[in-house]
Amino acid sequence: MTFVHSIVRALRLAALLLAISFAAMTTLTGGPGLGAPALAQTGVETPMEEPSPGSGKVPGRSIGNASDAEIWRAVRHGLQGNVSLPDKQAGLLVQSEGEEWRSIRNGPVTKFGGWLLLGMVGVAALYFALRGRIPIKDGRSGIRVPRFTQTQRVVHWFTASLYVLLGLSGLIMLYGKHVLIPLFGPEVFGAIASAAMQGHNLFGPLFAFAIVALFFVFLEHNRFRWADVKWWLSLGGFVGGHPKCGFYNGGEKVWYWMAVALGLTIAVSGLLLDFPFILAAPQKLQIAHLVHNIAGVAIIAGGVGHIYLGTVGMDGALEAMTRGDVDANWAKEHHDLWYQETIAAQQTARQTVAQGAAAEVTT
Amino acid sequence: MTFLELTEGPLWYAASAIFVVGVLWRLAGIVRLGGPRDLSVPRASATAGAIKGIFLHMVPHGGFFSRTKFHFFAGYLFHLGLFVLVLFAAPHVLFIEERLLGFGWPALPRWGFILVAEATFAGLILLWLRRLTDPVMRQLSDGDDLAGTVLTFVALLTGCLALQESHDSLRALHMLSVEVLMVYFPFSRLMHAFTFAFSRAYTGASYGRRGVVP
Ligand code: HEM
Ligand code: HEM
Ligand code: HEM
Repeated sequence: MTFVHSIVRALRLAALLLAISFAAMTTLTGGPGLGAPALAQTGVETPMEEPSPGSGKVPGRSIGNASDAEIWRAVRHGLQGNVSLPDKQAGLLVQSEGEEWRSIRNGPVTKFGGWLLLGMVGVAALYFALRGRIPIKDGRSGIRVPRFTQTQRVVHWFTASLYVLLGLSGLIMLYGKHVLIPLFGPEVFGAIASAAMQGHNLFGPLFAFAIVALFFVFLEHNRFRWADVKWWLSLGGFVGGHPKCGFYNGGEKVWYWMAVALGLTIAVSGLLLDFPFILAAPQKLQIAHLVHNIAGVAIIAGGVGHIYLGTVGMDGALEAMTRGDVDANWAKEHHDLWYQETIAAQQTARQTVAQGAAAEVTT
Repeated sequence: MTFLELTEGPLWYAASAIFVVGVLWRLAGIVRLGGPRDLSVPRASATAGAIKGIFLHMVPHGGFFSRTKFHFFAGYLFHLGLFVLVLFAAPHVLFIEERLLGFGWPALPRWGFILVAEATFAGLILLWLRRLTDPVMRQLSDGDDLAGTVLTFVALLTGCLALQESHDSLRALHMLSVEVLMVYFPFSRLMHAFTFAFSRAYTGASYGRRGVVP
């Protein structure tokens, strides 16, 4: 750095400090001449030429007519001054990235997120309108095939209940001002938003435990296989009849990995927001917040499809997660490879028992 | 009268009266039933048996632990949490001091309050999920279990939503949900909070009398 640069820098900092102390003084003392109208408002003709905004000159003669636009521009863009406070960040008057963060959150994130969510709901509704509920074609056989253990079901619903609470409160924080203020007015929304934020903060950390448990408990059977590629190539049976499929189909596997990846991202970024002293820097917190928002909206959008198929979209699916077993015909139609495996396993078990019994009789 | 004044005034007094009278009424009913007369000479103290019955059965015995560990864990998580929350959360201590007793006691710090609230919620959800996913528990459960759980959950939830302590409406909502819970309490299985001591003491006493550790 050249000598001239250092001087300019020192001057700028001095000016910034001056500005900070000036700001502090004005707030403490009520400010100089705040009661009096500004010159521009008095209608007095100023003989002076109107200064251009960039020139550093401001209107007014006796009350100081110089303002270093360069300094203020630097402050506006996040120039950091020196303070003797322990918190050095207090030397930052305007954290400028904050404006970017705000406009990304209120702009593309809100907008595209909204379209994505509405789109997902729209697609599910359209599919339901056109194709209706996917039935069990051969009807119910009355034979039950065990599918999920009690541990799996408890973990699933624990995650799902937190997901609903966090998703609702998150959506209220993100879209409340667009949807709820017009409906209920700002007063009521103030209370709802406060409630949503407190609830979101309280339930968040529990979701972190839930998503880790979900990862382990459903890992088995969720590794990708060749059959999944074929499943996706046929668009899940949209083209060329129902494809062959094991315990989970390609779509379910994608949901599992998507939920786990997004869920962990959400959990980590959310916890960083809950404990802001870890990141300490506002810029990093803003990034964490955007990551959290985007992943949050994405997991809600993915969940629309999952929840649709798990409830109204398909006959015979929900009971797998509530009772833990499914109808044999449902298993045969949607997870034929798995069905054959379980039935084959049962038959070998039966045969072994029968052979054992026969052996006992002959000896 | 504002909504908050309503829930903190008339509704609070009505709910408290129903709660206290209802609980006493039900307990008196149980005590009045008495037990069958036992003419045999006692081998050991029935009172000692009753006390043992209450305390020994706070932890699972013999080979039961492996079968009940989930229930044991979630059960204590929820019940201890609820107990600590109701009695030691700062806003509750304040309420007890200002409205009930005229004196208070040290309250949990804020982080402790939040941590216990998380544990309580986790416990309640896990307990309910066990009820739903266990085929035997499912058969044993009825509308009363559902109502008791939902009302408790709503009281917890509204409490959690009021954590900012800056909106009268949220505070009133929490009060209201607590009052509904208090009114329902005496007429439901939520009474187990009191009756567990009676039933365990009764069984403990009858075993104790026969000289058997319950
Ligand atoms: C809230 C409503 C929800 C409903 C009604 C629901 C319903 C279901 C049903 C019926 C199944 C069984 C599908 C089968 O038999 O193959 C299932 C599986 C599963 N669910 Fe959900 N679910 C919900 C939320 C969630 C959430 C929030 C997550 C994760 C964040 C999740 C993760 C899973 C996973 C990992 C499986 C195993 C299948 C797979 O790997 O895709 N669910 N769900
Ligand atoms: C480990 C779990 C979680 C934690 C610790 C957590 C924490 C947080 C925090 C601290 C915020 C910022 C609130 C604010 O702007 O004042 C937030 C916002 C948000 N969260 Fe979460 N959260 C978690 C899970 C979730 C889940 C599962 C979803 C979606 C299903 C979600 C969706 C959202 C959304 C959409 C926002 C945006 C709110 C806004 O920008 O106004 N969160 N979360
Ligand atoms: C069944 C359990 C609970 C009972 C019986 C209960 C009861 C009460 C009562 C009587 C008040 C006084 C309200 C007033 O001063 O008007 C109160 C206030 C409060 N409770 Fe609870 N509560 C319960 C659970 C919870 C939980 C789980 C939380 C938090 C997670 C909580 C948080 C609060 C807060 C923050 C206030 C103060 C509200 C304010 O001043 O705005 N409560 N509770």
